[in-house]
Amino acid sequence: MSLDRRTFLQLAALSSGGLLLGITPGCANPQQVRMEDIAGASGRFSPNVFLTITPDDRVFLAMNKSEMGQGVMTGAAAMIAEELEVPLEKIEPFHTAKNEFRTSVGEAAIETSAGMQITGGSSSTPENWVPMRTAGACAREMLVLAAAKTWGVSASECTAKAGAVIHTDGRKLTYGELSKTAASIPLVENPKLKKPGEFNLIGSRVTRTDAFDKVTGRAVFGADVRLEDLHNAYVIHPPTMGAQASSFDAVEAKKMTGVLDVFAFERGVAVVAKKYWQARAAAATVKVEWSGGLLNGLNSDAMMRDQIKQLEESGTHTLEAEGDVDDALERDDVTVVDVVFDAPFLAHAPMETQNAIVWVREDDVRVWTPNQSPTIIAEGVARVVGVDMSDVKVETPMLGGGFGRKAAPDFACEAAMIAKRVDKPVRVIWTREYDTQAGYYRPQAVARMRGAIDKRGNVLAYSYHGVSQSIFRDMSSMMGAMYPEWIPTIGKRLMVRAGVGFLETGSFADFLATEGVTKIPYAIPNVRVEYTPVKTSLPVMFWRSVGHSFNGFMKEVFMDELAIAAKKDPYTFRRDLIKDSPRDLAVLNKVAEMSNWGEPVEDGWGRGIAVHKSFGTYVAEVVEAGIVDGRIKVRKVWCAVDCGIAINPDVVHAQMEGGIVFGLSAAIDQKIELKDGVVQQGNFDSYPMIRMFESPKIEVAIVNSGEDPTGVGEPGLPPVAPALSNALYQATGVRLRSMPMQDAWDKEGAK
Amino acid sequence: MKLLINGKQVTVDVPDDTPLLWVIREEVGLTGTKFGCGKALCGACTVHVDGKPKRSCVTAVSSVQDKPITTIEGLEATDGTLHPVQAAWVEENVPQCGFCQSGQIMAAVALLAKKGKTVTDEDIDAAMSGNICRCGTYPRIRKAIKRAANAMEEPK
Ligand code: FES
Ligand code: FES
Repeated sequence: MSLDRRTFLQLAALSSGGLLLGITPGCANPQQVRMEDIAGASGRFSPNVFLTITPDDRVFLAMNKSEMGQGVMTGAAAMIAEELEVPLEKIEPFHTAKNEFRTSVGEAAIETSAGMQITGGSSSTPENWVPMRTAGACAREMLVLAAAKTWGVSASECTAKAGAVIHTDGRKLTYGELSKTAASIPLVENPKLKKPGEFNLIGSRVTRTDAFDKVTGRAVFGADVRLEDLHNAYVIHPPTMGAQASSFDAVEAKKMTGVLDVFAFERGVAVVAKKYWQARAAAATVKVEWSGGLLNGLNSDAMMRDQIKQLEESGTHTLEAEGDVDDALERDDVTVVDVVFDAPFLAHAPMETQNAIVWVREDDVRVWTPNQSPTIIAEGVARVVGVDMSDVKVETPMLGGGFGRKAAPDFACEAAMIAKRVDKPVRVIWTREYDTQAGYYRPQAVARMRGAIDKRGNVLAYSYHGVSQSIFRDMSSMMGAMYPEWIPTIGKRLMVRAGVGFLETGSFADFLATEGVTKIPYAIPNVRVEYTPVKTSLPVMFWRSVGHSFNGFMKEVFMDELAIAAKKDPYTFRRDLIKDSPRDLAVLNKVAEMSNWGEPVEDGWGRGIAVHKSFGTYVAEVVEAGIVDGRIKVRKVWCAVDCGIAINPDVVHAQMEGGIVFGLSAAIDQKIELKDGVVQQGNFDSYPMIRMFESPKIEVAIVNSGEDPTGVGEPGLPPVAPALSNALYQATGVRLRSMPMQDAWDKEGAK
Repeated sequence: MKLLINGKQVTVDVPDDTPLLWVIREEVGLTGTKFGCGKALCGACTVHVDGKPKRSCVTAVSSVQDKPITTIEGLEATDGTLHPVQAAWVEENVPQCGFCQSGQIMAAVALLAKKGKTVTDEDIDAAMSGNICRCGTYPRIRKAIKRAANAMEEPK
């Protein structure tokens, strides 16, 4: 979903920080007034909310998206720099603060996503593709006009280059020298954007704008924020979600150095001290009795059995139906493949555990937290404190990973509950254990898939029935029963945001649960996709690639099973079925070529292939794997990706590599299990990650379709799990349909 | 208690068993060293003590008194030149979120101090597998270590 210019202008008009570009001409234009005010006060040129050029030639880029490793700052900086004609290193990107209008750098809240500031769904690059370039081009044209005005010459005699405007006679003024004059030029509304062939920066390998700070320890993450009189709260969380402290003994703790207070609150017992370690050390002496809880003894195993049982019935929702699937399945001249897949709950486990600082003063609430949506954070904190959302200012330091988890507001709300009772800025940092146990998981999902193949190996039917928790439905019960009223507004906004998917499927609440198995590229005449939602009070959430994370696995293992049943090669079988889908076909062919598909592999090893489109990006992967001493071992992964114009090819490569490693951790080892409402996993010993010695060689190739850019943060992930299962089938003859696959192998394969 | 961090003497007043990580972050004010797990499972908190990599989250501060401690902030030369490992990290665009990278770099510096140009894939697997990268930058870390190794001077 890329924004065209008109949508961009409409969204800009919605943003609370003022118009991005002039829409109404003349001096009544608030954006013109804003620009002139800023220039009057500081000499800075800030023609739109993204961009500010200072008289000393610095160029600030206010980011509407969170940098969590996916390279969004570098991408946006490249788009701006390309059109503004400055070297990339000149651009200084920073996260904008929600609701804070900092005239110092011309900053304002930027709400480009249906009135929200949110990062997710691999949407940043497509969303910013037009606005960022437009913002840069507007500024460039105005700077050229400013130079022409200064010199009293025609603008056509002036060119912008490397941060300066140059006249044909060699005269030169830097952007900084022109900043004040440029702010007196009427806003340019329809700048001329470069055509793809004219790009210098877009499409070339550049150094990430955040690389230097991240290799020197200078980057400021949530826990690195410094504030006067900052205090720390260590929260003793209950063993099961929502349980309350019925009593606690903190006599010892209160005597300890630095401890300010110990109190029970909605989410546990808070130990507040000057330093984090003082609070944590004191907390170790506190004894708490817990009662109640929200999860009613939830047992993930029993839940899984119940989900599988529901597969015997038809789905409560039909998302896609073409032809007559039942008729095809019941023909007596067909081979039927009828299989069940499952995937567990998963925690996001970003390297940086959730954390937040909240400072509550009258009508002025400040929040510093690494997050994926300042809008959601502001909304949640405002509810807790009981103020208007416009009184909450949210600053976003660097994010140590997000993967969807940092779009939930629970950690900031928790800090706000404590801060309300402490007359100081208070920081909460979660332990690794609690970070893993705090919910908002990728849903546990099962599906039954059925297919029919005729005697000549043609696929006649494809049927999917999935049973899982609906992320969107959960929005209404998210945050547990404590604050049910929080979510409707957020839920509604997300719905607006996801409106495209809604319209496509006609069944809004459920399209995430079946994304990736609907609208498949394979030419199959009879198709049915059904879904049955299940409910628990354990909240589920977006997890890197969302529904695609399990549906990609299920669909592509299933296609492999169909290929085997049809006695065809898994690659050529897919190729023949997707010949009418050229972008799928191109990445599939490319990955087959890269991996030399069909060449013999030594005994004990196998190769598997998968192709999956998510978030508009097409990815095909081949995995080479085997079992070594009972352990799944992945040796090599080849990956071909078509994400349209690759703004920064190196970031595309990095995101594919990262998505593959992230996907392998989930495919092989990770699971979240609950017993009697208690999460069984905690630190990295029980919720393991792929490590260096297990990390395969990865080869990535970009297939350039020349289309508008699409996101790359998530699409590298979905194909890797099915390609691994398919490889292990080739290596061992055992078909693994359950994640994590090491568990499945221990159960099935080791027999 | 006296500590020697990045060549500077600092005095701190904390209980003996306070983890070095929190002393570095909260008392000394150097925040490049990160908390990832608190249980010696992820390597995000890696610093050097006597030139050897140490998980500062499980190192009692009293055990490292007067031993030279180096953190990520201590790698750059006084003129601001990046350490060859840091430079290789930039060249290879290693960091994604960056949260693990201080620890990764400290582990890599210690590895190369020992192995130099002779570093092998097996050495890298052995020395770097204690450091988790959730963003999956391992292939680039491997490349950057080799790049840094090649850029190192021949041992005299
Ligand atoms: S924080 Fe020390 S090893 Fe993870
Ligand atoms: S770069 Fe994000 S954890 Fe390593």
